[in-house]
Amino acid sequence: MNKSASSSPGNGALIRVTDLCKTYDNGVDLIQVLRNINFKVYPGEIMAIMGPSGSGKSTLLFILGIFLHPSSGSYFLGGQDVLSLDRNAQAEFRRNRVGFVFQSCDLLENSTVYENLEFPLIYAGVDRQDRPERIAVALERVNLGHRIHHSSNRLSGGERQRVAVARALVNQPQVILADEPTGQLDRSHGHSILDHFSEIVSDGKTAIIVVTHDPEIAAGCTRISSIRDGVLYEQ
Amino acid sequence: MQLNDLMRVSVRQVIRHRRRYMGVVLAIALGVAGFLNIVTMSREVKNNFNENLDLIGGVTVLRIYFDNQRSYRPQWFREQTLTALKRLDGVKELSLTAARHGQKSNFKGQHFAFMVLAVDEGFWQVRNFWPLTGKLFGLDAVNAHTRECVIGAELAKRMFGDTQVSGTDLEINLEIYRISGGLGGVTDSGLANSVFLPLTTAADRFPGRLLADRLYLRCATWDDVGAVAAAIPGIVKSFQSPEELHVEVAWEALKRVQLLAWWIEFLIYLATSATFLLGGVGIWNVMMAAVTSRTREIGLKKAMGAEDRDILAQFLSEALCLSVGAALLGAGIGRILMEILGYVIESRPPENLFFFGVTLAFVFAVVIGVGAGLYPSIRASRMEVVSAIRYE
Ligand SMILES: Nc1ncnc2c1ncn2[C@@H]1O[C@H](COP(=O)(O)OP(=O)(O)O)[C@@H](O)[C@H]1O
Ligand SMILES: [Mg+2]
Repeated sequence: MNKSASSSPGNGALIRVTDLCKTYDNGVDLIQVLRNINFKVYPGEIMAIMGPSGSGKSTLLFILGIFLHPSSGSYFLGGQDVLSLDRNAQAEFRRNRVGFVFQSCDLLENSTVYENLEFPLIYAGVDRQDRPERIAVALERVNLGHRIHHSSNRLSGGERQRVAVARALVNQPQVILADEPTGQLDRSHGHSILDHFSEIVSDGKTAIIVVTHDPEIAAGCTRISSIRDGVLYEQ
Repeated sequence: MQLNDLMRVSVRQVIRHRRRYMGVVLAIALGVAGFLNIVTMSREVKNNFNENLDLIGGVTVLRIYFDNQRSYRPQWFREQTLTALKRLDGVKELSLTAARHGQKSNFKGQHFAFMVLAVDEGFWQVRNFWPLTGKLFGLDAVNAHTRECVIGAELAKRMFGDTQVSGTDLEINLEIYRISGGLGGVTDSGLANSVFLPLTTAADRFPGRLLADRLYLRCATWDDVGAVAAAIPGIVKSFQSPEELHVEVAWEALKRVQLLAWWIEFLIYLATSATFLLGGVGIWNVMMAAVTSRTREIGLKKAMGAEDRDILAQFLSEALCLSVGAALLGAGIGRILMEILGYVIESRPPENLFFFGVTLAFVFAVVIGVGAGLYPSIRASRMEVVSAIRYE
């Protein structure tokens, strides 16, 4: 594993989160899910986030993907103040700088694997003739090259998860945010996804944040942290 | 998002969800087909009514005559007047005639008196008469001044006791004429008791001057009758004296037929616009439902970096796909109906009228697609990613 990046000086951080808080208002009372979260992520790192269910792991990942706004705090990615972006700049950010794997491994229904991977490229303005190559490369990384023209409805749970990972990779983002990407995978596929993650970060430019319940997967990451009672602890 | 991607994705989406959209598309398509047929065929159908249904078609025939009993100088229609009338807009055909009352015939010792009507070759067509037996003389007979005649059915029965008289000879004013046929389609007993001679023959044979002072004129449709009737005196006046000129129109019957036709047309237009309106409401509904049921898809696409306008464009172009696709289908169905109808009534509308109708239908379709699809698309585009993703 590439641990050298994490020991580099603090201003080389790819992600810098400071005093991040999130409070949900469900109409009856206020639920404080995240309290004063502080952390940095450097290029080349794979950060595991663990914690019991309902502890706010998905909430944190949604904030990092700016699907959700924090109640307070700051969030910089590559020197850019992410929370100040306007709506179109947010879309641009999601399209070019982060790749997201959802917990539910959502794929577009009634669409082929190819079409699922094509949309990020369409939105990023990639030329049509360049798309097949990039889609094939991303699918190869999760060993699904042979499923390229299958319908998403006919994939197994594990295959869906791998397609979701491939879709997060296809635009070569700086940061990949994965919410339990190995939850439905058997051991060997789980580990091979982790191997792919390691390969991706080995370029020294990319970082990955993985939410996981699996201690073995966490052990394969470069850093492990956990959320309890809204607070992030580094291990 | 590039336009060709947008089109491809939208068409694919619509085709994959064709079951959801089929009802709306069919409704609009039928509306378009009906609309095209009204635009293109209504004049043809009226024309056809006109020719085939004497009852309705009769109202398009005008009788124009000089009342020579009251006129100081005898009057008749001049060649130039006829030519000018034929060229008048809305005039389909006309026929020139002259009448001689109290003509006599002797048959087997009995005397018969009747009217002789000297007519041109167009008379049968204009008055919608058909041969009961034998044939009605045509242009050849008129040009050749032949001595033949057509006899009214009642007169034939009175004289010969039978209507099968074609080929027999008839004596009029001591001259012999061959009967070429018996006249059918006559409701007027005066005409059923008359003898018809070619205009030229009568002019040659009858003593004195034959005054061609009656004209029957058929308009193309009943909508033309008013304008044609109004224009006639002016046209006659520019070539000859219009003294004691009378133009007779069956105004009452015309009004009734026009009202009936107006109602039929109105109801069809009403039905058509109702289809269009329902089509619009249908698209609205279907798109609203699609936005709700595709919340996750919208959230996912936004998470993949779609901007608000990408989502807006996608839903709007799907709505347009539906309405324009429906219009296309409707144009196809309409064309088929038009061909069938055209075959049945043996008449074809001008091609540019069809294209005019199709263009209009496409404009409607775009208006409906944008009008009904805009609000649902805006709603889709405004959706927040996280609420879309967590939506169950
Ligand atoms: N929109 C919301 N309104 C109110 N509470 C919410 C909302 N979304 C999530 N929560 C609550 O926030 C807590 C954290 O949720 P989540 O981030 O999904 O946890 P995890 O991913 O760690 O299981 C949960 O208790 C959940 O019920
Ligand atoms: Mg979660």
